[in-house]
Amino acid sequence: MMTQRLTTLALAAALGLATGTGVADAKTTVSFLHKWPEPENMVYFNAAVKAFEEANPDIDIKMEAVADEPYKDKIRVLMASGQVPDIYFSWSGEFGKKFARGGRAYDITDHVYNSDWKNTFPEAALQPFKFEGRLYGIPINVDAKFMLYNTETFKKHGVEVPKTFDDLLAVCAKLKDAGVVPINFGNQFPWAASHYIGEMLAKLVPNDVRVGDYALTRADNELYTDPGYVEALKAFQQLNDEGCFNRGSNALTHPIARGSFLAGRGAMIYMQMVEFGRIGGSPIDKSGWNFFTLPTFADGRGDPGIITGAPDGFMVSAETKHIDEVIRFLKFLTTPEQAREYVNITGMTSSVKGAVTAENADERVLQGLKFLDAASGLALWLDTDMDARSTEVLLAGSQAILNGTETPEQVMEKVRKTALAVKKEREKN
Amino acid sequence: MKLTYQRLLPYLFLSPSLLLLAVFVYGPALENIVYSLFSWSSMNPDWRYVGFGNYRHLFSNHIFWASLVNNTLYAVISVAVQVFVALGIAAVLDARVFKRRLVYLFRTTFFLPSILPVTVVGLLWQLIYQPTLGLIDQLLFATGLDSLSRVWLGEEQTAMLAVIMVSQWQWTGYMVALFMVSIAAIPRDLYEALEMEGASRLQQFRYITIPGVREATLILTVITIFGAFKVFDIVWVMTAGGPNHASEVLGTHMYRSAFRDDVVGYASSVATVIFFITICVGMVQLKMQRDR
Repeated sequence: MMTQRLTTLALAAALGLATGTGVADAKTTVSFLHKWPEPENMVYFNAAVKAFEEANPDIDIKMEAVADEPYKDKIRVLMASGQVPDIYFSWSGEFGKKFARGGRAYDITDHVYNSDWKNTFPEAALQPFKFEGRLYGIPINVDAKFMLYNTETFKKHGVEVPKTFDDLLAVCAKLKDAGVVPINFGNQFPWAASHYIGEMLAKLVPNDVRVGDYALTRADNELYTDPGYVEALKAFQQLNDEGCFNRGSNALTHPIARGSFLAGRGAMIYMQMVEFGRIGGSPIDKSGWNFFTLPTFADGRGDPGIITGAPDGFMVSAETKHIDEVIRFLKFLTTPEQAREYVNITGMTSSVKGAVTAENADERVLQGLKFLDAASGLALWLDTDMDARSTEVLLAGSQAILNGTETPEQVMEKVRKTALAVKKEREKN
Repeated sequence: MKLTYQRLLPYLFLSPSLLLLAVFVYGPALENIVYSLFSWSSMNPDWRYVGFGNYRHLFSNHIFWASLVNNTLYAVISVAVQVFVALGIAAVLDARVFKRRLVYLFRTTFFLPSILPVTVVGLLWQLIYQPTLGLIDQLLFATGLDSLSRVWLGEEQTAMLAVIMVSQWQWTGYMVALFMVSIAAIPRDLYEALEMEGASRLQQFRYITIPGVREATLILTVITIFGAFKVFDIVWVMTAGGPNHASEVLGTHMYRSAFRDDVVGYASSVATVIFFITICVGMVQLKMQRDR
């Protein structure tokens, strides 16, 4: 009995000691969640956090990173359970607007526009983070989608870079006749199709109509009724039916399709600029590659100069108790020195003016940025630009179109119905 | 005094597990039913009471019914293969047709897939099913059966069956091992007696093995049905419910609703349906056990 009591006392004392430590710690902890856990990216973020903490000994940055797909789950769980990190990653467009609409994002308009900070970014990079005229996010990089091609294959079969959509179909036909898969395409996770469709929509649907439809602000009888929508899906169907894509695209993932292209199989692939870093050392790197923007349509009523791309960035929790510290850290991450370091280490682009230079970036990335500069606008990633439920219908519909089990008209009718339902619910809430 | 102590003691021992179950299983299950009565999303702190609105939407949603059909198909095929075919294989392995070493070899070979993580199995079979380059297509091409080649995971007609087959491949061996243990518990002299009476192997199986493993069969059937209605991982890894919802099951439909479409109240109603289906299966099992 005596020994038991002694043990209890000892345990209690140990516990008391353990909990007693750390009380004197008066550091402010800022939680920071992003979606770049890959080693090359973490090298940058770890160094940046360390440098910031050294310069600001009163602030402790608690960083966490999860990959792209799981991030979509994690942020929702954190939001639902009220444990929103002070700073969190967000795609621009509708994905970020959801946080703003739900009152979960801090309005940083004044912090940016009432200081020199606003001169750090091109206005075009800030625009996709705005909701009802207010700014809710800080862009960190900018990405765009291009059609990459194997220069050796193009040369061997005597094909030129297509200028119009019809040219692209002709290129496909010629390559296919020669026994080459024209475009590598993996649509098992159908966001891959959404990038094609998104850019086609931007080129075929008048801009104000498209933007109004995505935001669900057009009248009920007009919502998603523009003929450009069906035309875009038909163009996508045509790419498939005329043999531009490899067999069984619905059963392949994008990384597998990319692997085929990098290994020198197939002539083209629609790929993001952030993926350029994976090309180094692959067979295609040796045989040669280049890229072009998705061709325009002869009779498109949209904006022919638009290309698919978007900035990624950070948002701030509306409930943060440390707004000054948060702003200090975000300003630090977007200083020209840090931005250059970011480009240097991660191989990504940066939304900070003048951060991507010939010294720290690959020439292909610089070329991509030139395309971006020349573009008349950005069509954001469709699956982060439209409302989530209508997007899901469109994405599943893209698979049905590839399999020939649904027509473009049927798919758009379903999208319209879903969009109307979402609009109605938004009006209720 | 001592009596009370002894009477309370079992409850004392049970209380930690009961408490954990209450906090982590029963509480959330009940909470989920409440959630299903609201329209809400994780992005928006405002909840709107909709009564049975989510359920009305659920029962009029063709994707929900398609998912339910897929789960049922999953259950029927899994019971047929993982219970009945597995029992047959176990009986053959036990019937001393093969040398003991061969029996061990077969048993281990059949059992091995069940120790692999589901994601590994999913990715492995994704490669096997791959159009043109995959093992199945290569075999078909090599044997001149090109016309049979399909895009197994990419066509609406074949995607669900292709995933279900992988589950059978993975779990049948495990069930064989369980049945072998159960068969081994049947007294040998029963078989010897019937053999002396001139009964064939098939008759021995019919009159001794089947009644002998009745209880195991019942339990394994119920476990298999449970699994079929709760399935999520293998489907998500292999097809993500696609193409065009063709391989959607209740689990993936729930996940997609909550984490992609941001209709968490609706997703909760799907979860409630899964909960009631599994409860019904569980009650049938309890009743059958009691009736015996």
